[in-house]
Amino acid sequence: MNLYNTLDIASSGLAAQRKRVEILAENIANAETTRTPEGGPYQRRRVVFEGRPPREGFQIALRDAQASGVRVAEVVTDPSPPERRYLPEHPDADAEGYVAFPSFNPVEDMVDLTAAVRGYQANLAVAGAVRDMINRTIEVARG
Amino acid sequence: MLTQGTLRAARYLDLLSMRQRVTASNIANADTPGYRTRALDFDSALDEAMQRPAKRPTFEPQVRELGGLAVKNDGNDVVLDRELRNLSETAIRFSHALLVMRGGIRQLRQAIQEGRGA
Repeated sequence: MNLYNTLDIASSGLAAQRKRVEILAENIANAETTRTPEGGPYQRRRVVFEGRPPREGFQIALRDAQASGVRVAEVVTDPSPPERRYLPEHPDADAEGYVAFPSFNPVEDMVDLTAAVRGYQANLAVAGAVRDMINRTIEVARG
Repeated sequence: MLTQGTLRAARYLDLLSMRQRVTASNIANADTPGYRTRALDFDSALDEAMQRPAKRPTFEPQVRELGGLAVKNDGNDVVLDRELRNLSETAIRFSHALLVMRGGIRQLRQAIQEGRGA
């Protein structure tokens, strides 16, 4: 039985969704950040997921190829140009009095956040169901 | 010696764990661009397993892309509600099959003990 492997898949889902929430939190926290170490305003980031074949090296590798976990392939930066606001008294204002703010779409990030939380919960449900299956199997062996 | 019924229950448990893994894969990849819902060809795998319960390695259930679901913009067609439903169903079937197994193992254990006592 390959139940432990199934737990791996669920935990890969949990890790990926958690990373997604982290990045979203960073975006929301930095919605008004005009200074970054790289210079210029904060740029929104987002995660890209990709399917991941589960652990190799088992004799069930063939069957494993048919089910996969997930991982964050990369974190990409939103290339959209900064939003310019006229704030002449702001220390980061340019010669014309405009300040570059991150281009931030709160609706988009909040919708994404809801989806991420839902995905996290679904993976948690898988982990719970599989753990229960393993425990019940152990009980049977115990007699 | 386990009875045919107990062996069948064991094969059924195997299949259910595989099915649960496919569901786990679908849920983990619910937001992976281009991922399509996968499904275990459960019925035919079960038929084969029931016919030859003692021969474990002969059946290799096929996992295929399900198809027929609405594909989202990112090329993904996982429906989370469908997967969560399958998750529960498989878990319930699993505990039922385990009850059958437990019965079989108890009988065997009893037989051993009575044999010792004689």
